[in-house]
Amino acid sequence: MKFWSYFRDHTGCAETALELAKGTTLGETHAAVLDEFPKLAGSKNSTLKAVGLEYEDDDFVLSDGDEVSFFPPVQGG
Amino acid sequence: MKTELTISTGAIDEAALAKCREMGKGMGAVICFSGVVREIEGDAPITAIDYEAHEQMARHQFALIFDAVEKSWPVESVRLVHRLGVVPVNEPSLWVEVTAPHRAEAFDACQFVIDEMKQKVPIWKKPIPA
Repeated sequence: MKFWSYFRDHTGCAETALELAKGTTLGETHAAVLDEFPKLAGSKNSTLKAVGLEYEDDDFVLSDGDEVSFFPPVQGG
Repeated sequence: MKTELTISTGAIDEAALAKCREMGKGMGAVICFSGVVREIEGDAPITAIDYEAHEQMARHQFALIFDAVEKSWPVESVRLVHRLGVVPVNEPSLWVEVTAPHRAEAFDACQFVIDEMKQKVPIWKKPIPA
């Protein structure tokens, strides 16, 4: 699990690992992350979620070893 | 369609980029856009913006955007440079060039690339207060 931009400040770390049950979805993982890092809760609805290099929906089922990124709205340019 | 993507902490040298432009003889339009750091962010004066990227994902997302351009417009080439790290006020953080047979598709494709980037490419900025 990786955190980018100011999410890193909210979690105090750039990455962490979570043990999840088989069949856990990205949305459930997000909920688990919010439990562990409550400072991210204020950004819950605007959080962008990616698995590997692709954006995925909350119902995406994670596989063993997937790298999940959580980050705020992007601001390039 | 030819594409060239540079994501780097180096300053964007617009003159050098223009000098190495390659255009086919059927191309009649070149659009170049530079996004420049303003001295005000929100309501506060700043000296620079510090850009950060999830670079691997950013490259992938730019590739998807370029694929979409190729499917939508008869564009010959897209070149894009995004600077990371600290970019001072008045210096460009973004440079986009589109070449195409006519101006309409060149303008539309350039606008599309920038709009999509601002929605999908994982780059973030942290303003540095004055």
